[in-house]
Amino acid sequence: MSLSRREFLKATAVSGGGLMLSFSLGGCAASDNGYRESGGEGRWTPNAWLEITDQNGITLTIARVEMGQGTVTGMTTLVAEELDVPPDTLKTRFAPVGDAYRNPLYKLQLTGGSTSLATSWQPLREAGAAARIMLERAAARTWNVEARRCTGRDGRVWHPDGETSLSYGQLAALAAHETVPDPVPLRPRSEWRYIGKTNTRHDAEIKSTGQAEYGIDVDLPDMVYAVMTRPPRLGLRVEGFNADTVRAMPGVIDVVETERGVAIVADKYWRARKAQDALEIVWDETDALDLDVDHVFETYARAADDDPGETEREDGDVEQARSQAGQVLEAEYRVPFLAHATMEPMNATARVNENGIEVWAPTQAPDLGRIAAARVTDFSPDEVTIHTTWIGGGFGRRLTQDYIEEVAAIAFQVRRPVKLLWSREDDMRHDVYRPAMLHRLSATLSDEQITGWDHQIVGPQVLNWYARNAAAAQFPWAPKFLYDSLARVGVMAEGIATPKDTSAIEGAVEYPYAAPNVRVRHTHVDAGIPISYWRSVGHSHNGFVVETFMDEVAHSLGRDPYKFRRDLLKQKPGDLAVLDRAAKLGDWSRPVPEGRARGIAIHRSFGTLVAQVVEAGIEGGAIRVYRVACVVDCGQVVNPDVVRMQMESGILFGLTAALYGEIEFEQGAVKQGNFDDYRLLSMYDLPEMTIDIIDSEASPTGVGEPGVPPVMPALGNALFALTGKRQRNMPFKVEV
Amino acid sequence: MAIKLTVNGQLRQLDIEADTPLLWVLRDELGLKGTKFGCGKGLCGACTVHLDGSPARSCSTPVSLAEGREVTTIEGLAPEGELHPLQLAWVEHNVPQCGYCQSGQIMSAAHLLSYNAAPSNDDIVAAMSGNLCRCRTYARIHAAIKSVSKHGEADA
Repeated sequence: MSLSRREFLKATAVSGGGLMLSFSLGGCAASDNGYRESGGEGRWTPNAWLEITDQNGITLTIARVEMGQGTVTGMTTLVAEELDVPPDTLKTRFAPVGDAYRNPLYKLQLTGGSTSLATSWQPLREAGAAARIMLERAAARTWNVEARRCTGRDGRVWHPDGETSLSYGQLAALAAHETVPDPVPLRPRSEWRYIGKTNTRHDAEIKSTGQAEYGIDVDLPDMVYAVMTRPPRLGLRVEGFNADTVRAMPGVIDVVETERGVAIVADKYWRARKAQDALEIVWDETDALDLDVDHVFETYARAADDDPGETEREDGDVEQARSQAGQVLEAEYRVPFLAHATMEPMNATARVNENGIEVWAPTQAPDLGRIAAARVTDFSPDEVTIHTTWIGGGFGRRLTQDYIEEVAAIAFQVRRPVKLLWSREDDMRHDVYRPAMLHRLSATLSDEQITGWDHQIVGPQVLNWYARNAAAAQFPWAPKFLYDSLARVGVMAEGIATPKDTSAIEGAVEYPYAAPNVRVRHTHVDAGIPISYWRSVGHSHNGFVVETFMDEVAHSLGRDPYKFRRDLLKQKPGDLAVLDRAAKLGDWSRPVPEGRARGIAIHRSFGTLVAQVVEAGIEGGAIRVYRVACVVDCGQVVNPDVVRMQMESGILFGLTAALYGEIEFEQGAVKQGNFDDYRLLSMYDLPEMTIDIIDSEASPTGVGEPGVPPVMPALGNALFALTGKRQRNMPFKVEV
Repeated sequence: MAIKLTVNGQLRQLDIEADTPLLWVLRDELGLKGTKFGCGKGLCGACTVHLDGSPARSCSTPVSLAEGREVTTIEGLAPEGELHPLQLAWVEHNVPQCGYCQSGQIMSAAHLLSYNAAPSNDDIVAAMSGNLCRCRTYARIHAAIKSVSKHGEADA
């Protein structure tokens, strides 16, 4: 995206003396969920602000959230580089949504899709540079010297004599009267002091001392506590409940019915929980969705038989390749529903007054939170303010605003500041899941070559569900009575956002290997189980399937899986470099210790390419991962340690899914409830991880998600090499 | 019931139902929000505090069990204005990502070092495997603990 700076970078004076630059970071999550911002036409509104004052130093306010992925650290580094100040001297704030921050030109404010750094790479550096140049000009005017001979460095502007200097704070008020430079020259790579070199995290200390304030930590005067009882099975509705009995319980203030269940409000959290034991709800089972997880896959299989689906990619003619093939290899893969299981369970706090409602929440999509709160109260979106907090894990879960909807509905009824907290079981059983998917693949082989690749993806699309939450946010002019119908129609029918939902097919349509005939189809089928985005979304299953089936093809041709991939990537030097380096880092060509085997996989997601070699074995009947070698190409690195951190995190996130991850439904109820039956990898399972980053000058791409997809197939491929049994279903199982 | 306990060196008196988990007393009654709620069943370790110097899962410890005892939370791990060596190591090793579980991680690690100043790799894994982290910062937690231990990083 290229924006005219004159139009998109504005300077104003801060009352009390100081410089404020307002600017705009590109739309976030544009590539993966189908939403795009509505273009540059219309009124421009900023979503980032850089403020320099004498009293408060330098503050960067951003309309993004931090959930562990290092966004804040990366962003401050970019501004600091051009301003020439150490990144840790910048203070950061998260922009609330609503009132002053409300955006009249609709744009979804959300953080997801590993896009934060990619979209802010240019504008953040420009803002920093513009501020520095304006400070230099202000200093030049003061000293009556040429501006180009003044230098901003380490938070001060230096006189040409090299001895006299004024601090940025001292100059800020004057600088506000300078014009914004256009164009804004950026520092050449060779002069960078912080980009690619900074390794500290902006938030490490407050997160090591218990001082970071998460959603769960919000405390308001006279606040009360709410817990919600939701339908134990899909599709149930509240018919009635014993309100009087529960109201008589110690500490209970009120018991209220909402769309999503029955809420108990008490003076203390524990009293609300205890009163919940006494709550008896009669459920209306008319629309109960009595399905088991086996039914879901049966439904998928039937759909796959009946409907070949929409063709998403077609190169050559796979049918013809099939008729001429010496050998046809076929396989079916299944991946389960998965929960997000963020360590901080869903929660939100709200306060209603005569002018509107304020919500404090750990959310990835404050814009949608505003709509969610408006929908269940009498307030218009203008009257809703969302304050975002530090987030105890997101992974896509907090793009859905159900918890904000709940707290708003409760606060609106009880008219008291109220904090809603989900139990772990609430969180596990009322998640919006990574969809279960079925995949059917066939490869045609002739003369030791792959001649055709045919992939049928079977399952739901996330956007169909997400639109229920997001549709109304797309149409800020819509009266509230239209919200539900907008949600039903979804944004797709309106054609305004022109989204293409790639959630089911991403990571499969991009099949990267040379093959004359490639077909990728998607059979759309939805079993009715709520789904959403999950760290790396479609790549989380397509990466597994494509890279496992490639391994099947290699083995059936009697080829080394690494060399086989290598031959088919010859036309792609970037891919080849990453693959080769991973093979080297993972000792691919060296002997494997007794009882172990290695597997390899490479996958591109969100613009970032990652290859991994996994060394695994079986100990006491359980899969054991010993080593993971990982090579990543994410363009220009802003903070190398954040990249390494995200790769480590992605690897272990993917391994957890491969080893343990499974949400099962029994008669419409989720079986798993806590960490004893939805296991997370612990330190005991920790493999040795080595991360290597490709040196690149290309624009940075995201790192929050791309570490996840390749590790699952790399592990499965290692297990095949070890046992001869192919892992086509997740989680993986080995014969004891 | 009336309960007396010492929290981070200060004697506190409360009137609270005896079965209230210590976690909610610390967070909601005493305003010590650094200790986190994760699972409510002692499965994840996010709520770990020290009770008379031993690690306890405060989410499943009734406050009545803390009567007359000394509770230490993340806020009281180091004297005010100072960082515990583990906290310094956490910053040095860039341990936290989302950060939510880290108070519990640090409290478990602090207990380990209190009785074993030079833990082996296996000792660290054994002491820390009950503390879950969804961002999977385990490698860095392990390295940070090692750096503070008597062995240092040399034989890690």
